[in-house]
Amino acid sequence: MNVVGVRSTRASALSDDIDITPMTASAALPWPARLWRFVFPYVLIAPTFVFVVLFTLYPAVKTVQDSFYQPARKASEPAVYVGLQNYVDLFNPTHYLGSRFTRVLINTLVFAFATVLFSVPLALLMALLLNRKMHGLGFWRFSVFYPSLLPMRGAAGLWAFLFSNQIGLINTVLRGFGLTDVNWLGDPNTILASIVLVNVWKQSGYFMLFYLAGLQNIPRDLYEAAELDGASLWQQFRSLTLPLLRRTTLFVLVIALTFAFQTVEQLQALNQGNPADRGNLMLYFIYQNIQERRNWGYINAMTVILVGILLIFTVTNLVVFERRDID
Amino acid sequence: MDERRIWQRVGDAVMIVIGLVWLAPLVFALLMSVRPAEEPVSTGNIFFGSTVTLDNYDAALHVAPWGMHLLNSVIFAAGVLVVQLVTVTLAGYAFARLTFPGRNLLLMVMLLQIMIPVGVLLVQNFSTIRALDLFDTQWALMLPYWGSAFGVLLLRQTFREVPYELEEAARIDGANWGQVMWNVYIPLSIPAYVSFAIVSISSHWNEFLWPFIVTRSENIRPLTVGLNKLFNTSDAGANYGQLMAGTLIAIAPLFVLFLIFQRRFIESFATSGMK
Repeated sequence: MNVVGVRSTRASALSDDIDITPMTASAALPWPARLWRFVFPYVLIAPTFVFVVLFTLYPAVKTVQDSFYQPARKASEPAVYVGLQNYVDLFNPTHYLGSRFTRVLINTLVFAFATVLFSVPLALLMALLLNRKMHGLGFWRFSVFYPSLLPMRGAAGLWAFLFSNQIGLINTVLRGFGLTDVNWLGDPNTILASIVLVNVWKQSGYFMLFYLAGLQNIPRDLYEAAELDGASLWQQFRSLTLPLLRRTTLFVLVIALTFAFQTVEQLQALNQGNPADRGNLMLYFIYQNIQERRNWGYINAMTVILVGILLIFTVTNLVVFERRDID
Repeated sequence: MDERRIWQRVGDAVMIVIGLVWLAPLVFALLMSVRPAEEPVSTGNIFFGSTVTLDNYDAALHVAPWGMHLLNSVIFAAGVLVVQLVTVTLAGYAFARLTFPGRNLLLMVMLLQIMIPVGVLLVQNFSTIRALDLFDTQWALMLPYWGSAFGVLLLRQTFREVPYELEEAARIDGANWGQVMWNVYIPLSIPAYVSFAIVSISSHWNEFLWPFIVTRSENIRPLTVGLNKLFNTSDAGANYGQLMAGTLIAIAPLFVLFLIFQRRFIESFATSGMK
């Protein structure tokens, strides 16, 4: 059953395509049956919602709430309400956390942007190249996909080694070309790029699969018709392939952004945010400060900011792509 | 058409280059893992060593209780998936075919879960687990994932594409809701279930942060945490051979699975509903 990313109707994610009304007129039923009919949908969604509420909704709300408090001096006393002070402190360059937070925030935004910028088009390219007949197709598909199967810590640890100064593969290759070594993980100017590189390597193959599926859902005859009309390969790509991949692209962008903001394990292998926080990202920064009790309010405030940014990006994506769908 | 043929060749070449670059780290890890541990640093040659040895694997296997870790990873991934399949099917049907007050609102709440991953909220989730007195148990690992918004939306999409006439026909024949699901909806949605299972398993197999935070005893922890320990304890000595061996051990099961199910894997991505 072909249940597909290419839709002929202009339905958005939430609208109804068909409306199913119950077959019997409800007024004709005795009240227990009517009650059951009313309650039934909620019974069905209850199991899922118990967990969604418990582990997503409730924590989200509580995080926002806790971000307005500071822990009291003594553990036994209730927390102190401080309003927006935690947020103000985070941007205060003289504060012990605030002095680092701005740098981390900028890093995270740059990182997310760079990762998406490189990995998504690359994924599309790979999908285009791998959607044809080619010798050893399965092998080549695996060759770009396998990084996403690796546990992050292992993959990052591997790259830490590749990046190392004397015996790293990359510097060895550079030396082979007569160039000088680069201190990938130690130089503040290259550390972020190094992390981006690892992420792109790891995730492009994963996104490629989604593009592959999207491409395979485009009917062949559309291309044939375009050929007959004399369209060049490039024209076919721009006017046929790209627009039909819109849904997939939206999906991939959202996922890519979510992954970017969740980057933690790589940092443990790739110099742990050093040097001087030039390689540090928000979730990792939160994690670094989670142990100390006095940071509780700040941790929550940072999480709120992190989630806020993520939401803004995701909603923007949705709006941009949904709107284009309608015209 | 000659132009066609040229582009074909160019495409092949580009793909081969990309593939080789992507494979390089893996090949390298393999090379490292079968050479004596001190080698690259002592001899300065990173490509060729003096001998081929399996010592690193032997040593890596002793650093952590890998058997236990493997079992825990399996329990974790399987335990999450099994419950997810149930919750996702139930809720998927409700959103696909039933109308009820608050439906759109609840749908948006589901979207929220997709946008805010569990890991980001780990601070509060950790408190919740503590409050439920489930710290350092298998349950703690699995609980947050039992409600899957992604799965619900996927199944909703899939169920909607099942022709309603089939359900009608079954009901006329006297089927109750359970039978309708079992005989109509579920069989027709197998590709979607397979996709979902693949996404679920692979994301939880490689999950690190949550298991790390929520467990303490070695025999509850899954592979990812064991691997982390391996890396942390070996970093000081920069024992790369062992690190590579350990990594390859940890990823072997998933690799093997993928190679076996490779075509099915890609096919299911192509035939299931995805937005």
